[in-house]
Amino acid sequence: MTASGAAVATHCPYCALQCGMDLTLDVAAPGGRAALPVTVTPRQFPTNGGGLCQKGWTSATVLRAPDRLTTPLVRGADGVLVPASWDDALDLVAGRLSALAAEHGPEAVAVFGGGGLTNEKAYALGKFARTVLRTPFIDYNGRFCMSSAAAAGNRAFGLDRGLPFPVTDLAGADAILLLGSNVAETMPPFVQHLAGARAAGGLVVVDPRRSATARLVGPGEGVHLQPVPGTDLVVLLALLHVLVAERLVDREYVAGRTTGFDDVARSAAAWWPERAETVCGVPAEELRRVARLLAAASPSRGGRGAYVLTGRGVEQSAQGTATVTAAIDLALALGLGGRVGSGYGCLTGQGNGQGGREHGQKCDQLPGYRKIDDPAARAHVAGVWGVDPASLPGPGVPAVKLLTSLGTPGGPRALLVHGSNVVVSAPNADRVRERLAALDLLVVCDVVPSETALLADVVLPTTQWAEEEGTMTNLEGRVIRRRRAVDPPGDARSELWILAELAHRLGSGVAFPTDPAVVFDELARASAGGVADYSGLSHARLDAHHAAGGAGLYWPCPATPDLSGPARGIPAARPDRSPGEHPGTPRVFLDRFATPDGRARMVAVDHAGPSDDVRPDAPTYLVTGRVLQHYQSGAQTHRVPELERLVPEPYVELHPLLGLRVGVPDGGRARLVSARGVVEATARWTDAVRPDTVFMPFHWSGAGSVNRLTTDAVDPVSAMPEFKVCAVAVTPAVPDPAATAEHVETLEVLA
Amino acid sequence: MSHDPQQGLRVPHRVVVIGHGMVGARLADELSRRDADGALDVTVLGAEPYEPYNRVLLSDVVAGRTDVAAIGMPMVDDGRTRVLRGTAAVAVDRDARAVLADDGTRHPYDHLVLATGAAARLPDVPGLGTDPEALPAGVHALRTLDDAREVVAATVNAPRAVVVGGGVLGVEVALGLAGRGLPTTLVHGAGAPMDRQLDDQAGAVLRAGLEAAGVAVRTGVRPQEVLVVGGRAVGVRLDGATTEPGETLGAGLVVLACGTAPETSLARRSGLAVERGVVVGPDLASVTDARVFAVGDCAQPPEGSRGLVAEGWDQARRLAEHLVTLAARPRPEARVEGPREHLRLPGDGAGPSMAVRLGTLLSTRAPGARAGGVDARGTDVVKVKAGPLSVVAMGRCGSGRVPEPGERAVRLGDPAAGRFVEAVVAGGVLVGATCVGDARVAADLTAAYTRRTPVPADPAFLLLTPVMPAAEPASSPEHMPDDATVCRCNGVTKHDIAACVADGATTKDDVARATRATTGCGSCTEAVCGLVDWLSTARPAEEAAPGAMTTPARAS
Repeated sequence: MTASGAAVATHCPYCALQCGMDLTLDVAAPGGRAALPVTVTPRQFPTNGGGLCQKGWTSATVLRAPDRLTTPLVRGADGVLVPASWDDALDLVAGRLSALAAEHGPEAVAVFGGGGLTNEKAYALGKFARTVLRTPFIDYNGRFCMSSAAAAGNRAFGLDRGLPFPVTDLAGADAILLLGSNVAETMPPFVQHLAGARAAGGLVVVDPRRSATARLVGPGEGVHLQPVPGTDLVVLLALLHVLVAERLVDREYVAGRTTGFDDVARSAAAWWPERAETVCGVPAEELRRVARLLAAASPSRGGRGAYVLTGRGVEQSAQGTATVTAAIDLALALGLGGRVGSGYGCLTGQGNGQGGREHGQKCDQLPGYRKIDDPAARAHVAGVWGVDPASLPGPGVPAVKLLTSLGTPGGPRALLVHGSNVVVSAPNADRVRERLAALDLLVVCDVVPSETALLADVVLPTTQWAEEEGTMTNLEGRVIRRRRAVDPPGDARSELWILAELAHRLGSGVAFPTDPAVVFDELARASAGGVADYSGLSHARLDAHHAAGGAGLYWPCPATPDLSGPARGIPAARPDRSPGEHPGTPRVFLDRFATPDGRARMVAVDHAGPSDDVRPDAPTYLVTGRVLQHYQSGAQTHRVPELERLVPEPYVELHPLLGLRVGVPDGGRARLVSARGVVEATARWTDAVRPDTVFMPFHWSGAGSVNRLTTDAVDPVSAMPEFKVCAVAVTPAVPDPAATAEHVETLEVLA
Repeated sequence: MSHDPQQGLRVPHRVVVIGHGMVGARLADELSRRDADGALDVTVLGAEPYEPYNRVLLSDVVAGRTDVAAIGMPMVDDGRTRVLRGTAAVAVDRDARAVLADDGTRHPYDHLVLATGAAARLPDVPGLGTDPEALPAGVHALRTLDDAREVVAATVNAPRAVVVGGGVLGVEVALGLAGRGLPTTLVHGAGAPMDRQLDDQAGAVLRAGLEAAGVAVRTGVRPQEVLVVGGRAVGVRLDGATTEPGETLGAGLVVLACGTAPETSLARRSGLAVERGVVVGPDLASVTDARVFAVGDCAQPPEGSRGLVAEGWDQARRLAEHLVTLAARPRPEARVEGPREHLRLPGDGAGPSMAVRLGTLLSTRAPGARAGGVDARGTDVVKVKAGPLSVVAMGRCGSGRVPEPGERAVRLGDPAAGRFVEAVVAGGVLVGATCVGDARVAADLTAAYTRRTPVPADPAFLLLTPVMPAAEPASSPEHMPDDATVCRCNGVTKHDIAACVADGATTKDDVARATRATTGCGSCTEAVCGLVDWLSTARPAEEAAPGAMTTPARAS
C-alpha cells in the first residue's frame, strides 16, 4: 500500500448487491493518462465474497468521466445549455417554481426520484416534495423495478424486504427456483451463492432465453425452463397444481402459518400441467419434475431447504403482482417462508432499490414504509418535520401515470428529476420525450449529461458515490455505509445541499440539514414505529459496527426493543445485547409474519397474458434485459471505455430460423416495429432465444433505444409497466436518413 | 352521483345457470369477477351434491397422478351468487321465465344459461341393461367423481380391466390402469387409437407407445356383449368382425369411454331448438329464445364443438362479458312495451343486430383486451394426459384433413423410436400439427399454433427442436478458440490469459491480478487454473523473468 493513506471502505455504485470495495487514493498515475483519483479493490463482504464484476472494477472511471457535470447549466434564449453560477441557477429554479405554483397551484410541480439515491437523499426528496412544494406528485424509477414485488410482498407478508434473509443463506439450499432474473449478467458475484443448489442438482432457472444464468445449469446441476414470454405465471400455477395433486404440500406449515390455501389450491386445479403446456410451452413432464425437485428440497420432506426468487423478468409485467403472488403461494405451499434455510425473496435491482422504496419517494408513502393516507402516520411524520399534518398532501400517482400527465391540461408543468434517466429507462420512450418537451420547466440533477439532462432547462451537477457520505440498504435489507474518499470535481454539490438551498429560496421554514449523518438521524426518527424501522441506527452506530468487523445491520432495527412489539412480528432484542440496542433483524418472519394475525396470506391469482400480445401485424415477442457491461440507462457505463469497448452498441438477438424467415442475416440490421415505435439494431443470431422471440438490451438511447417499443401498460395493483414483453414485427432495416440526422443533433448538444 | 335516482331504482338482472360443472362453475366465477357492483343476481343449480371439480382430471385420479381431494375448482364466494348443490332443474317455463327445480323451488330469470354438459355415451350392447344410472357392478363410465372413485376402488380387486373406446379418454384411462399394475386391454372399433385426431401412421406410433406401457390394444373390434354374472361384470365379448368370432376378454373392471352426448333433455322439453346440442348463435344465445344461452358440452355453436374444456371456458368468459354488458342497461322488466328481447338475430330488424355486433367484436377482439383466461384461438389443442407418453394434436390434423391449396404438410416418421411429427403450414403460420413421442417439439408446436407466430421458411425445421450447431465447451484448453471468453464477469478471453502467461504469470492469482479473471463470481477459477497449467507446460514461456510478471495490465 502506498503512503497516500488508508483505504476507504465503501460499496460499489451500481446494483443492489452492493459489493464491498476499498478505495485507495492514487498519488501518482503512471504514464501521461489522466489519473483516476482512486484505485478500486474488492473487499470481503458477505454479498460479494471478495469478488467484483467488471462494472465494479472500473467504477472509478465514472468519477472522472470526460463530460462530468461540474457546474450548473441553464438553457439560454438560443436553446443552448450554458454554464451558470449556483446562485443564478437556484434563483431561476426557485423563481419559476414559485411562479408556476402561484399561478396553477402546488400540483403544478412534480418530482421524480431514483433508486440509486442514498437513503438520506431519498428521504430528503420526499420531505421536500411534501413540505416545501406541497405537491402530491412524487414518484420514482423504482416503480419500474420493485413495485410488483413490493405490492405482492406487502400483501402476503405485511412487510416488503427484498430478501427477508441474508443472501449467504442461499448456499445451504438444495434447490433454488430463479424466475426472471439473469444474475450472471446483472449481479455476477451473486452467482457464487447458487453454488450449493447447483451442486445439489437443484438450480431451476425460468427464462424465455437461455441466458448466461440459464447456462449456469450444467448437466446434473438443475433445470432450465424456457416458457413463452409472458407466461411465467402459468408455470407457477402448474407447479402449484402438481404440489397439490401429488400431496407434496407442507400441510402442517400451511395450516399453522398461512391463510387462503384452499382458494389457491382450487385456482391451481385449473392449471394441470398438460393445459399449462399448451399456454406456456413448457412440457408437462418438465413441470412435474421441477415441482418434485422443489418438494424434495423443502424442509417438510427432509431436504436442506429451498428458495423461490423473482426478478424483473416476471415482475415487469401487467400481471407482475399476480406472478409474484403465485411465486409466494408456491413458496408457502412448500413451507419455505419464515424458516431458516428456506424462503421467498425478490432480487432488488438498483443500488438502493430497497432503501429507495422505504423513505417517502413513492407517491403513496411516508418514511418508514408508512402509508400517506394513514392519519397516524401523517401525524407522526409531520411531528418530525415540524409541520401541520393537514398541510401534507395526499397520495399522488405512480410513475407512468405521472410521466404521461406532464404538460397536459391540469397536469404538472414543472418536473424535478433526481437520479433517473427517464427518456431511456421509462417505457414508451417517445411519449416520455414528448411529455417532457411539453413542460414549462424541467430541472435535472445528475452527475453526467444523461439523455434526460440534455433536455432540461436547468441542469444541476451532483456528487456521486465516492464523493459523498450516506447509507444504502442493499437487497437483503442490510443498511450499510457509503463513504467519501475524494472531493467532488468543480462545483458539483450534494442533493441535500441543493434541496436545502431551494427550500430556503422558496421561503420554507422547514429545516433541511445537509450533513448526511444528521439527515439520517431525522430519517431514523421519522421511521420509528413504521414497517421499515431504522430508529435504532445511526451513522455512528454503523461505523462502530463496521470497525468491530460487522457487515451492516438489517432493518427493522428499532431504537428500543420495546418498539418492536411482538404484534408486528419483529423479534425483540436478545439478552446478549446491551439494553436499548436492537441487534437488527437478519431474518424476518421466523416467528410470525408481519400481518395482523401473524399468518402469511395466500392469494389466488389467474393468468391473463401479455397486454400487448402477438398478432398478425406484430407476430413476434420482444423481451428486454441487461448485459453485464452496462447498467440501466447506461449513463454511467457508457462513459467507461473498457465497458463500452466490449458492448458498444445495442443489438437484437434472434433465432436463425426467424432470421431466415424475415430476411435478417446474422450481423445485418434489423428493424423492430411495435404499436408505439420503431428501433433499429444489429442482429445477432443465437439459438438462446426461442424462435418466436427476440431480445434487446435496454441500455441505449436513440435509434436503438428499445424502450421506444415497450408498452406503458401497467399492472393494475402495482402500476409497474410491462417492460418485459410486447409484440413486434421484425424486418430488415432500410437506410433511414432521419436516423442519421437525429444522431448528429445529439452530438451537437453534447458538444 | 350516489343519489342518482336511476341508480337507486336499478334492479339486478336475474341470471339462472343450470349446471355446476366445469363450465357452469366457471361462468359463475367469471360473472362474479366482472360484476363488482351487483348488477347481476346469479343463481346456479347443480345436480351433483359436490363442490365443483375438475372433470378433466378424473383420468388423472384413475391413474393415481392426482389426489382426489385436489381437483376442487374455485367456488364463487362473493356473498351474492347463490349456488344450490344437489338441486336439479326439472323444467323451464319460458313464458313465465322461471326454472323449476326438483326440490320444488322456482327460480325466475331474466337470462337463463344452460350448462348441463354431456352424459357418457353407452354402447348399445347386451349386459349393460337399459338404465344408464344402473350399470352392472364393475362397469363404469368416467364422467363423475363417483365414477372415478369407483374405478379406483375396483382396481384393488379386479384381476383385469377392459377399456372400451380408444379416444382421448380411453387412452388416458387405459394408461392409468396399466400404470397401476392392472393388466388392461384397450378395445377400439377403428383401425388405430385416437383416430379422430391421428392418422394411421401417428396412430400406429401411439399404439406402440401404449403397448410399451403395458396396455394390450385391440383395434377394429367392438364389444358385442358385456358378460355379467350375478349382477357383476366378468368380461367383454368382442364382435369378432376382424378376429376369430366371439373372443372373450375376462375383466372384473370395464370402463366405458365411448364418447359423450350433449345433455339436452331439459332444453328439448323446453321447446328450444336442439340438434346434436342446443343450437346457439355466435353470441351463444339459443336460436329459439334469445334470453336463453347455452355453453359448454351441451351447446352447439356455429363453429362446432370438440368437447374440449378450453372451448367451454372460453364460452363462459365471452358470455360473462356479454351478460355484464347487458346488465349495465336498465332491466328488461322496467320497460313497459317494446321488443322483449335485447338480442336479435342477423337480418332481424333494420339496425345492426346485437348478435352481429357481438360476433364481430369477438372475432376482432385484440388479444390485449382480454380480461382473463386464454385466448379463444388454440382451444382446439388436444393434449393427452398420459404422463411420459406425449401425444398432442391440434387444428388441421389427422386422417380427416383434406389438403387445401397452398397448404404444406411435412412429417417425420420414426416409429422405432416411438416418434411421429407432422406440421401443416399455410400462409406462413402453423395451422395444424400432430406430435407423438416428443414432448419438447410438441410444446413448441403448440406455442406456434396457438399464437400464430411466424414459422420457419422451411417448415421442416418445425419437426425438431431447433438448435444451432454449436461447439461443445472445449474438452481441453488446446481446443478452445482464442477469442473464447473464459471469465464472463470481467470479459477475459483465452487470448488475454495466454498473453498474461507469456508475460510470466504462473498461477491463477497472477492472472487475476493482471486481468481480474476469477474475481467476479469465481465460476471460471477451474478453467483459468487449467489454462495456466496447460499454457505453462505446453507452451512454456521462454525464460520468463520472475520479476516482470505481476505488472497489472490495467495500470499501463
